Amino acid sequence: MFWHTLERTIIFTVANVGLTMVLGTLIALLLVRVATWVRLLLTVGLVLVWAMPPVVAVQVWSWMTISQNGVVNYVLTQLHLGDFFQHNWYETPTSQLAMVTTLIVWGAIPFVTITVYAALSQVPRELIEAAQIDGARAWRIFKDVTLPVLMPVLLILTSLSIIWDFGAFTQPYLLIGPGQQVPSNYLMSVYLYVEGFGKTDFGRGAAISILMLAIVAIMSVVYVRRMLRVGEAA
Amino acid sequence: MSRRRAGSLGWNVAGLVLFAVMVFPVFWMLSTAFKGNDQIYSVDPVWVPGHPTLSHFRDALHRQYFWTDVKNSVIVVLVTVGIALVLSFFAAVALAKYRFGGRKLFIVLVIGIQMLPQAGLIIPLYVVLGKHGQVNALTGVILVYLTFALPFCVWTLRGFILGIPKDLEEAAMVDGSTRLGAFVRILLPLVAPGLVATSVFAFITSWNEFIFANTLLHSGGKQTITVWLSYLYGGNRFVDWGEIMAASTLISIPVVIFFLLVQRRIAFGLTAGAVRG
Repeated sequence: MFWHTLERTIIFTVANVGLTMVLGTLIALLLVRVATWVRLLLTVGLVLVWAMPPVVAVQVWSWMTISQNGVVNYVLTQLHLGDFFQHNWYETPTSQLAMVTTLIVWGAIPFVTITVYAALSQVPRELIEAAQIDGARAWRIFKDVTLPVLMPVLLILTSLSIIWDFGAFTQPYLLIGPGQQVPSNYLMSVYLYVEGFGKTDFGRGAAISILMLAIVAIMSVVYVRRMLRVGEAA
Repeated sequence: MSRRRAGSLGWNVAGLVLFAVMVFPVFWMLSTAFKGNDQIYSVDPVWVPGHPTLSHFRDALHRQYFWTDVKNSVIVVLVTVGIALVLSFFAAVALAKYRFGGRKLFIVLVIGIQMLPQAGLIIPLYVVLGKHGQVNALTGVILVYLTFALPFCVWTLRGFILGIPKDLEEAAMVDGSTRLGAFVRILLPLVAPGLVATSVFAFITSWNEFIFANTLLHSGGKQTITVWLSYLYGGNRFVDWGEIMAASTLISIPVVIFFLLVQRRIAFGLTAGAVRG
Protein backbone atom coordinates (compact mmCIF):
# COMPACT_ATOMS: atom_id res chain seq x y z
CA MET A 1 0.00 0.00 0.00
CA PHE A 2 2.88 2.33 0.81
CA TRP A 3 4.32 2.18 -2.70
CA HIS A 4 0.95 2.65 -4.35
CA THR A 5 0.27 5.65 -2.15
CA LEU A 6 3.71 7.08 -2.85
CA GLU A 7 3.20 6.65 -6.59
CA ARG A 8 -0.25 8.27 -6.44
CA THR A 9 1.09 11.14 -4.35
CA ILE A 10 3.94 11.76 -6.79
CA ILE A 11 1.57 11.84 -9.80
CA PHE A 12 -0.77 14.11 -7.84
CA THR A 13 2.12 16.42 -6.91
CA VAL A 14 3.46 16.63 -10.46
CA ALA A 15 0.00 17.44 -11.83
CA ASN A 16 -0.69 20.08 -9.17
CA VAL A 17 2.69 21.76 -9.34
CA GLY A 18 2.75 21.69 -13.15
CA LEU A 19 -0.69 23.26 -13.44
CA THR A 20 -0.01 25.81 -10.69
CA MET A 21 3.29 26.96 -12.16
CA VAL A 22 2.17 27.11 -15.79
CA LEU A 23 -1.15 28.83 -15.10
CA GLY A 24 0.35 31.11 -12.45
CA THR A 25 3.12 32.25 -14.77
CA LEU A 26 0.76 32.72 -17.72
CA ILE A 27 -1.54 34.89 -15.61
CA ALA A 28 1.46 36.95 -14.45
CA LEU A 29 2.43 37.50 -18.10
CA LEU A 30 -1.17 38.50 -18.82
CA LEU A 31 -1.09 41.00 -15.94
CA VAL A 32 1.71 42.89 -17.69
CA ARG A 33 -0.34 43.23 -20.88
CA VAL A 34 -3.72 44.39 -19.59
CA ALA A 35 -4.89 47.92 -18.86
CA THR A 36 -4.20 49.33 -15.40
CA TRP A 37 -7.77 49.02 -14.16
CA VAL A 38 -8.02 45.39 -15.30
CA ARG A 39 -4.73 44.64 -13.55
CA LEU A 40 -5.98 46.24 -10.36
CA LEU A 41 -9.24 44.28 -10.53
CA LEU A 42 -7.42 41.02 -11.21
CA THR A 43 -4.95 41.63 -8.38
CA VAL A 44 -7.73 42.28 -5.89
CA GLY A 45 -9.44 39.10 -7.11
CA LEU A 46 -6.26 37.09 -6.68
CA VAL A 47 -5.73 38.41 -3.16
CA LEU A 48 -9.32 37.50 -2.27
CA VAL A 49 -8.74 33.95 -3.49
CA TRP A 50 -5.45 33.79 -1.63
CA ALA A 51 -7.12 34.95 1.56
CA MET A 52 -9.74 32.18 1.60
CA PRO A 53 -8.95 29.86 4.51
CA PRO A 54 -8.50 26.31 3.14
CA VAL A 55 -11.37 24.91 5.21
CA VAL A 56 -13.68 27.61 3.83
CA ALA A 57 -12.52 26.90 0.28
CA VAL A 58 -13.31 23.22 0.77
CA GLN A 59 -16.85 24.03 1.89
CA VAL A 60 -17.42 26.34 -1.07
CA TRP A 61 -16.03 23.71 -3.46
CA SER A 62 -18.32 21.02 -2.03
CA TRP A 63 -21.29 23.29 -2.46
CA MET A 64 -20.40 24.27 -6.04
CA THR A 65 -19.89 20.67 -7.15
CA ILE A 66 -22.73 18.98 -5.28
CA SER A 67 -24.46 16.51 -7.61
CA GLN A 68 -28.10 17.55 -7.00
CA ASN A 69 -27.85 21.23 -7.95
CA GLY A 70 -24.18 22.17 -8.06
CA VAL A 71 -23.62 25.40 -9.91
CA VAL A 72 -20.60 23.93 -11.74
CA ASN A 73 -22.78 21.20 -13.22
CA TYR A 74 -25.28 23.82 -14.35
CA VAL A 75 -22.74 26.17 -15.93
CA LEU A 76 -20.86 23.42 -17.77
CA THR A 77 -24.14 22.04 -19.15
CA GLN A 78 -25.28 25.52 -20.22
CA LEU A 79 -21.97 26.06 -22.01
CA HIS A 80 -22.66 22.83 -23.96
CA LEU A 81 -19.52 21.18 -22.65
CA GLY A 82 -21.49 18.01 -22.05
CA ASP A 83 -24.40 16.82 -19.94
CA PHE A 84 -23.48 17.28 -16.32
CA PHE A 85 -27.00 17.16 -14.93
CA GLN A 86 -26.67 15.50 -11.50
CA HIS A 87 -23.14 14.44 -12.41
CA ASN A 88 -21.24 13.03 -9.44
CA TRP A 89 -17.79 14.61 -9.39
CA TYR A 90 -16.60 12.30 -6.65
CA GLU A 91 -17.44 8.96 -8.22
CA THR A 92 -14.00 7.40 -8.70
CA PRO A 93 -10.72 7.89 -6.83
CA THR A 94 -9.29 9.61 -9.92
CA SER A 95 -12.19 12.05 -10.17
CA GLN A 96 -12.00 12.73 -6.43
CA LEU A 97 -8.33 13.59 -6.66
CA ALA A 98 -8.95 15.63 -9.80
CA MET A 99 -11.41 17.75 -7.81
CA VAL A 100 -8.83 18.17 -5.05
CA THR A 101 -6.38 19.30 -7.74
CA THR A 102 -8.74 21.96 -9.07
CA LEU A 103 -9.20 23.25 -5.53
CA ILE A 104 -5.49 23.30 -4.70
CA VAL A 105 -4.41 24.83 -8.01
CA TRP A 106 -7.09 27.52 -7.75
CA GLY A 107 -5.91 28.40 -4.25
CA ALA A 108 -2.21 28.29 -5.16
CA ILE A 109 -2.27 30.40 -8.32
CA PRO A 110 -2.41 33.82 -6.57
CA PHE A 111 0.83 33.28 -4.66
CA VAL A 112 2.67 32.20 -7.82
CA THR A 113 1.16 34.91 -10.01
CA ILE A 114 1.83 37.78 -7.63
CA THR A 115 5.40 36.65 -6.96
CA VAL A 116 6.18 36.10 -10.65
CA TYR A 117 4.59 39.43 -11.50
CA ALA A 118 6.87 41.16 -9.01
CA ALA A 119 9.85 39.39 -10.59
CA LEU A 120 8.73 40.42 -14.09
CA SER A 121 9.24 44.05 -13.20
CA GLN A 122 12.95 43.21 -12.89
CA VAL A 123 13.18 42.36 -16.58
CA PRO A 124 15.01 45.23 -18.30
CA ARG A 125 12.60 47.03 -20.65
CA GLU A 126 15.40 48.09 -23.04
CA LEU A 127 16.37 44.47 -23.64
CA ILE A 128 12.84 43.56 -24.72
CA GLU A 129 12.58 46.64 -26.92
CA ALA A 130 15.95 45.92 -28.50
CA ALA A 131 14.86 42.36 -29.23
CA GLN A 132 11.61 43.64 -30.76
CA ILE A 133 13.51 46.02 -33.02
CA ASP A 134 15.67 43.11 -34.11
CA GLY A 135 12.45 41.39 -35.14
CA ALA A 136 12.47 38.64 -32.53
CA ARG A 137 9.21 36.73 -32.08
CA ALA A 138 7.31 36.92 -28.81
CA TRP A 139 8.22 33.36 -27.87
CA ARG A 140 11.93 33.97 -28.51
CA ILE A 141 11.83 37.14 -26.41
CA PHE A 142 10.19 35.21 -23.58
CA LYS A 143 12.65 32.34 -23.79
CA ASP A 144 15.87 34.35 -24.14
CA VAL A 145 15.15 37.57 -22.26
CA THR A 146 12.35 37.09 -19.75
CA LEU A 147 12.84 33.50 -18.67
CA PRO A 148 16.47 33.83 -17.53
CA VAL A 149 15.47 36.69 -15.21
CA LEU A 150 12.51 34.74 -13.85
CA MET A 151 14.42 31.49 -13.40
CA PRO A 152 15.55 31.91 -9.77
CA VAL A 153 12.04 32.89 -8.65
CA LEU A 154 10.43 30.06 -10.63
CA LEU A 155 12.86 27.61 -9.07
CA ILE A 156 12.00 28.69 -5.54
CA LEU A 157 8.27 28.69 -6.26
CA THR A 158 8.43 25.25 -7.84
CA SER A 159 10.31 23.70 -4.93
CA LEU A 160 7.94 25.31 -2.43
CA SER A 161 4.93 24.06 -4.39
CA ILE A 162 6.34 20.53 -4.60
CA ILE A 163 6.84 20.42 -0.86
CA TRP A 164 3.39 21.86 -0.10
CA ASP A 165 1.47 19.71 -2.54
CA PHE A 166 3.32 16.55 -1.59
CA GLY A 167 2.17 17.09 1.98
CA ALA A 168 -1.36 18.24 1.15
CA PHE A 169 -3.81 17.17 3.82
CA THR A 170 -6.66 19.57 4.56
CA GLN A 171 -8.03 19.66 1.02
CA PRO A 172 -8.00 15.93 0.18
CA TYR A 173 -9.12 14.95 3.67
CA LEU A 174 -12.07 17.32 3.86
CA LEU A 175 -13.14 17.58 0.21
CA ILE A 176 -13.28 13.83 -0.37
CA GLY A 177 -14.63 13.53 3.16
CA PRO A 178 -13.19 12.10 6.40
CA GLY A 179 -15.41 9.03 6.02
CA GLN A 180 -14.51 8.42 2.39
CA GLN A 181 -10.76 7.95 2.82
CA VAL A 182 -9.92 4.54 1.42
CA PRO A 183 -6.68 2.93 0.20
CA SER A 184 -7.58 3.62 -3.43
CA ASN A 185 -7.57 7.40 -2.96
CA TYR A 186 -4.97 7.80 -0.22
CA LEU A 187 -2.44 10.57 -0.50
CA MET A 188 0.64 10.35 1.70
CA SER A 189 -0.54 12.66 4.50
CA VAL A 190 -4.00 11.16 4.58
CA TYR A 191 -2.56 7.65 4.55
CA LEU A 192 -0.42 8.17 7.61
CA TYR A 193 -3.20 10.04 9.36
CA VAL A 194 -5.73 7.27 8.82
CA GLU A 195 -3.22 4.56 9.67
CA GLY A 196 -1.99 6.41 12.73
CA PHE A 197 -5.17 7.86 14.20
CA GLY A 198 -8.08 6.12 12.49
CA LYS A 199 -6.67 2.71 13.39
CA THR A 200 -4.70 4.01 16.43
CA ASP A 201 -1.61 2.28 15.13
CA PHE A 202 0.91 4.94 16.13
CA GLY A 203 3.90 2.77 15.33
CA ARG A 204 2.84 2.25 11.74
CA GLY A 205 1.80 5.88 11.35
CA ALA A 206 5.12 7.07 12.76
CA ALA A 207 7.03 4.78 10.41
CA ILE A 208 5.19 6.26 7.41
CA SER A 209 5.86 9.76 8.82
CA ILE A 210 9.59 9.13 8.95
CA LEU A 211 9.67 7.89 5.35
CA MET A 212 7.64 10.88 4.26
CA LEU A 213 9.83 13.36 6.14
CA ALA A 214 12.92 11.77 4.58
CA ILE A 215 11.49 12.19 1.09
CA VAL A 216 10.60 15.82 1.76
CA ALA A 217 14.00 16.48 3.31
CA ILE A 218 15.65 15.33 0.09
CA MET A 219 13.34 17.51 -1.98
CA SER A 220 14.01 20.52 0.24
CA VAL A 221 17.75 20.49 -0.30
CA VAL A 222 17.48 22.57 -3.47
CA TYR A 223 15.25 25.11 -1.78
CA VAL A 224 17.24 25.39 1.46
CA ARG A 225 20.52 25.83 -0.42
CA ARG A 226 19.00 28.48 -2.61
CA MET A 227 17.55 30.37 0.38
CA LEU A 228 20.88 30.17 2.17
CA ARG A 229 22.61 31.78 -0.77
CA VAL A 230 19.94 34.47 -1.10
CA GLY A 231 19.95 35.07 2.64
CA GLU A 232 23.70 35.34 2.99
CA ALA A 233 23.95 37.69 0.05
CA ALA A 234 21.33 40.04 1.52
CA MET B 1 -1.44 50.98 -34.27
CA SER B 2 -4.91 49.53 -34.73
CA ARG B 3 -3.52 46.01 -34.50
CA ARG B 4 -1.95 46.91 -31.25
CA ARG B 5 -5.20 48.27 -29.86
CA ALA B 6 -7.07 45.14 -30.95
CA GLY B 7 -4.37 43.08 -29.26
CA SER B 8 -4.68 44.88 -25.96
CA LEU B 9 -8.48 44.66 -26.16
CA GLY B 10 -8.08 40.90 -26.47
CA TRP B 11 -5.78 40.80 -23.43
CA ASN B 12 -8.22 42.90 -21.42
CA VAL B 13 -11.12 40.61 -22.27
CA ALA B 14 -8.99 37.60 -21.32
CA GLY B 15 -8.14 39.33 -18.05
CA LEU B 16 -11.79 40.00 -17.26
CA VAL B 17 -12.85 36.43 -18.06
CA LEU B 18 -10.06 35.18 -15.85
CA PHE B 19 -11.15 37.51 -13.07
CA ALA B 20 -14.69 36.15 -13.32
CA VAL B 21 -13.52 32.52 -13.14
CA MET B 22 -11.10 33.05 -10.25
CA VAL B 23 -13.46 35.12 -8.14
CA PHE B 24 -16.56 33.06 -8.85
CA PRO B 25 -16.23 30.78 -5.79
CA VAL B 26 -15.94 33.84 -3.53
CA PHE B 27 -18.94 35.40 -5.23
CA TRP B 28 -20.94 32.18 -4.98
CA MET B 29 -20.18 31.93 -1.25
CA LEU B 30 -21.48 35.47 -0.66
CA SER B 31 -24.43 35.04 -2.97
CA THR B 32 -25.53 31.80 -1.26
CA ALA B 33 -25.05 33.27 2.20
CA PHE B 34 -27.57 36.06 1.49
CA LYS B 35 -30.12 34.01 -0.47
CA GLY B 36 -33.32 32.51 0.87
CA ASN B 37 -33.59 28.73 0.86
CA ASP B 38 -36.07 28.76 -2.04
CA GLN B 39 -33.40 30.40 -4.20
CA ILE B 40 -30.52 28.28 -2.89
CA TYR B 41 -32.21 25.02 -3.79
CA SER B 42 -33.92 26.14 -7.01
CA VAL B 43 -33.28 24.02 -10.10
CA ASP B 44 -31.85 26.90 -12.12
CA PRO B 45 -29.36 28.81 -9.99
CA VAL B 46 -30.25 32.34 -8.92
CA TRP B 47 -27.12 34.46 -9.38
CA VAL B 48 -27.91 37.50 -7.28
CA PRO B 49 -30.08 37.17 -4.16
CA GLY B 50 -33.55 38.44 -5.10
CA HIS B 51 -34.58 39.33 -1.57
CA PRO B 52 -31.41 39.29 0.56
CA THR B 53 -31.79 37.78 3.99
CA LEU B 54 -29.57 37.66 7.06
CA SER B 55 -31.24 34.56 8.45
CA HIS B 56 -28.32 32.26 7.57
CA PHE B 57 -25.94 34.51 9.44
CA ARG B 58 -28.29 34.46 12.40
CA ASP B 59 -28.39 30.64 12.26
CA ALA B 60 -24.60 30.42 12.13
CA LEU B 61 -24.11 32.81 15.03
CA HIS B 62 -26.58 30.87 17.15
CA ARG B 63 -25.24 27.46 16.25
CA GLN B 64 -23.79 25.61 19.21
CA TYR B 65 -20.14 26.40 20.03
CA PHE B 66 -19.77 29.17 17.41
CA TRP B 67 -18.84 31.82 19.93
CA THR B 68 -16.78 29.58 22.23
CA ASP B 69 -14.81 28.32 19.25
CA VAL B 70 -14.27 31.83 17.92
CA LYS B 71 -13.03 32.75 21.38
CA ASN B 72 -10.70 29.74 21.38
CA SER B 73 -9.32 30.73 17.98
CA VAL B 74 -8.76 34.30 19.13
CA ILE B 75 -6.94 33.14 22.28
CA VAL B 76 -4.73 30.72 20.35
CA VAL B 77 -3.94 33.29 17.66
CA LEU B 78 -3.18 36.18 20.02
CA VAL B 79 -0.95 34.17 22.35
CA THR B 80 0.87 32.57 19.42
CA VAL B 81 1.44 35.88 17.68
CA GLY B 82 2.50 37.65 20.89
CA ILE B 83 5.07 35.07 21.95
CA ALA B 84 6.31 34.48 18.39
CA LEU B 85 6.85 38.18 17.86
CA VAL B 86 8.92 38.78 20.99
CA LEU B 87 11.05 35.65 20.68
CA SER B 88 11.60 35.92 16.95
CA PHE B 89 12.55 39.58 17.19
CA PHE B 90 15.47 38.82 19.50
CA ALA B 91 16.48 35.77 17.49
CA ALA B 92 16.37 37.83 14.31
CA VAL B 93 18.53 40.58 15.82
CA ALA B 94 21.05 37.95 16.89
CA LEU B 95 21.10 36.39 13.42
CA ALA B 96 21.38 39.68 11.61
CA LYS B 97 23.92 41.45 13.83
CA TYR B 98 26.11 38.88 15.53
CA ARG B 99 28.31 35.98 14.52
CA PHE B 100 28.06 33.07 16.90
CA GLY B 101 28.92 29.39 16.94
CA GLY B 102 26.34 27.21 15.24
CA ARG B 103 24.88 30.16 13.38
CA LYS B 104 24.90 28.39 10.04
CA LEU B 105 23.22 25.31 11.51
CA PHE B 106 20.62 27.54 13.12
CA ILE B 107 19.81 29.14 9.77
CA VAL B 108 19.50 25.77 8.06
CA LEU B 109 17.12 24.64 10.79
CA VAL B 110 15.07 27.82 10.55
CA ILE B 111 14.58 27.37 6.82
CA GLY B 112 14.35 23.60 6.90
CA ILE B 113 11.70 23.30 9.61
CA GLN B 114 9.28 25.36 7.56
CA MET B 115 9.50 22.74 4.83
CA LEU B 116 8.33 19.79 6.92
CA PRO B 117 4.86 18.54 6.03
CA GLN B 118 2.64 19.07 9.05
CA ALA B 119 0.92 15.71 8.73
CA GLY B 120 4.30 14.04 9.09
CA LEU B 121 4.78 15.58 12.54
CA ILE B 122 1.35 14.99 13.90
CA ILE B 123 1.85 11.56 15.44
CA PRO B 124 5.08 12.31 17.33
CA LEU B 125 3.68 15.63 18.56
CA TYR B 126 0.44 13.98 19.61
CA VAL B 127 2.31 11.38 21.63
CA VAL B 128 4.61 13.92 23.30
CA LEU B 129 1.81 16.36 24.10
CA GLY B 130 -0.33 13.51 25.40
CA LYS B 131 2.38 12.56 27.90
CA HIS B 132 2.23 16.05 29.36
CA GLY B 133 -1.53 16.34 29.44
CA GLN B 134 -1.58 18.84 26.60
CA VAL B 135 -3.96 17.00 24.29
CA ASN B 136 -7.40 18.61 24.18
CA ALA B 137 -5.90 21.78 25.66
CA LEU B 138 -5.37 25.11 23.95
CA THR B 139 -1.86 25.37 25.41
CA GLY B 140 -0.82 22.28 23.46
CA VAL B 141 -2.08 23.79 20.23
CA ILE B 142 -0.35 27.09 20.95
CA LEU B 143 2.91 25.25 21.53
CA VAL B 144 2.58 23.47 18.18
CA TYR B 145 1.69 26.68 16.33
CA LEU B 146 4.72 28.38 17.84
CA THR B 147 7.03 25.75 16.42
CA PHE B 148 5.73 26.61 12.97
CA ALA B 149 5.36 30.38 13.39
CA LEU B 150 8.77 31.00 14.93
CA PRO B 151 11.04 29.92 12.07
CA PHE B 152 9.02 31.95 9.61
CA CYS B 153 8.97 35.06 11.81
CA VAL B 154 12.69 34.81 12.58
CA TRP B 155 13.64 34.54 8.93
CA THR B 156 11.37 37.35 7.78
CA LEU B 157 12.32 39.76 10.55
CA ARG B 158 15.99 39.07 9.93
CA GLY B 159 15.49 40.32 6.37
CA PHE B 160 13.89 43.52 7.66
CA ILE B 161 16.66 44.12 10.19
CA LEU B 162 19.36 43.58 7.58
CA GLY B 163 17.67 46.27 5.48
CA ILE B 164 18.40 48.95 8.09
CA PRO B 165 21.61 50.91 7.47
CA LYS B 166 24.20 50.15 10.14
CA ASP B 167 25.36 53.79 10.23
CA LEU B 168 22.07 54.88 11.75
CA GLU B 169 22.54 52.77 14.83
CA GLU B 170 26.22 53.67 15.08
CA ALA B 171 25.47 57.35 14.74
CA ALA B 172 23.09 57.12 17.69
CA MET B 173 25.73 55.39 19.75
CA VAL B 174 28.35 58.00 18.88
CA ASP B 175 25.88 60.64 20.03
CA GLY B 176 26.04 59.09 23.47
CA SER B 177 23.21 56.64 23.34
CA THR B 178 23.62 53.32 25.06
CA ARG B 179 23.27 50.17 23.02
CA LEU B 180 19.79 49.69 24.49
CA GLY B 181 18.87 53.30 23.82
CA ALA B 182 19.96 53.03 20.21
CA PHE B 183 18.06 49.80 19.96
CA VAL B 184 14.80 51.22 21.27
CA ARG B 185 14.95 54.59 19.55
CA ILE B 186 16.46 53.69 16.17
CA LEU B 187 16.05 50.02 15.46
CA LEU B 188 12.56 49.41 16.83
CA PRO B 189 10.70 52.10 14.86
CA LEU B 190 12.47 51.08 11.66
CA VAL B 191 11.58 47.43 12.11
CA ALA B 192 7.97 48.24 12.99
CA PRO B 193 6.59 47.57 9.47
CA GLY B 194 8.38 44.22 9.52
CA LEU B 195 6.87 43.41 12.89
CA VAL B 196 3.41 44.23 11.58
CA ALA B 197 3.88 42.10 8.47
CA THR B 198 5.20 39.08 10.35
CA SER B 199 2.52 39.22 13.01
CA VAL B 200 -0.16 39.33 10.33
CA PHE B 201 1.34 36.26 8.71
CA ALA B 202 1.49 34.43 12.01
CA PHE B 203 -2.10 35.50 12.61
CA ILE B 204 -3.34 34.16 9.29
CA THR B 205 -1.53 30.81 9.48
CA SER B 206 -2.77 30.11 13.00
CA TRP B 207 -6.32 31.27 12.24
CA ASN B 208 -6.47 29.01 9.16
CA GLU B 209 -4.75 26.00 10.67
CA PHE B 210 -6.76 22.81 10.59
CA ILE B 211 -4.79 19.55 10.94
CA PHE B 212 -3.37 20.06 14.41
CA ALA B 213 -6.42 21.72 15.83
CA ASN B 214 -8.56 18.90 14.47
CA THR B 215 -6.34 16.20 15.91
CA LEU B 216 -5.44 17.75 19.24
CA LEU B 217 -8.80 19.21 20.22
CA HIS B 218 -11.62 16.73 20.23
CA SER B 219 -14.40 17.85 22.49
CA GLY B 220 -17.09 20.27 21.36
CA GLY B 221 -16.63 23.81 22.66
CA LYS B 222 -12.89 23.27 23.04
CA GLN B 223 -12.08 23.51 19.36
CA THR B 224 -11.03 26.29 17.02
CA ILE B 225 -13.29 27.89 14.46
CA THR B 226 -11.87 26.07 11.41
CA VAL B 227 -12.57 22.73 13.07
CA TRP B 228 -16.06 23.97 13.96
CA LEU B 229 -16.65 24.86 10.31
CA SER B 230 -15.41 21.51 9.05
CA TYR B 231 -18.06 19.78 11.15
CA LEU B 232 -20.86 22.12 10.11
CA TYR B 233 -23.61 20.43 8.17
CA GLY B 234 -26.58 22.29 9.51
CA GLY B 235 -29.72 20.42 10.50
CA ASN B 236 -30.33 16.70 10.53
CA ARG B 237 -32.46 16.28 7.45
CA PHE B 238 -30.56 18.28 4.90
CA VAL B 239 -27.26 20.10 4.55
CA ASP B 240 -27.92 23.77 5.26
CA TRP B 241 -25.68 25.33 2.64
CA GLY B 242 -26.94 28.84 3.37
CA GLU B 243 -25.72 28.60 6.92
CA ILE B 244 -22.42 26.98 5.91
CA MET B 245 -21.73 29.76 3.38
CA ALA B 246 -22.69 32.44 5.91
CA ALA B 247 -20.32 30.91 8.48
CA SER B 248 -17.61 30.61 5.82
CA THR B 249 -18.01 34.30 5.04
CA LEU B 250 -17.73 35.28 8.69
CA ILE B 251 -14.60 33.17 9.19
CA SER B 252 -12.93 34.60 6.07
CA ILE B 253 -13.48 38.25 6.96
CA PRO B 254 -10.55 38.73 9.38
CA VAL B 255 -8.18 36.99 6.98
CA VAL B 256 -9.29 39.05 4.00
CA ILE B 257 -8.82 42.29 5.93
CA PHE B 258 -5.32 41.37 7.05
CA PHE B 259 -4.38 40.05 3.63
CA LEU B 260 -5.34 43.30 1.95
CA LEU B 261 -3.20 45.11 4.54
CA VAL B 262 0.01 43.24 3.84
CA GLN B 263 -0.45 42.17 0.24
CA ARG B 264 2.09 44.69 -1.00
CA ARG B 265 4.79 43.37 1.32
CA ILE B 266 4.40 39.86 -0.02
CA ALA B 267 4.96 41.07 -3.53
CA PHE B 268 8.23 42.61 -2.38
CA GLY B 269 9.69 39.20 -1.98
CA LEU B 270 8.73 37.38 1.15
CA THR B 271 9.06 34.22 -0.87
CA ALA B 272 10.33 32.52 2.23
CA GLY B 273 6.80 32.57 3.57
CA ALA B 274 4.89 29.44 4.32
CA VAL B 275 1.55 31.18 3.98
CA ARG B 276 -0.63 28.57 2.49
CA GLY B 277 -2.73 25.57 3.40
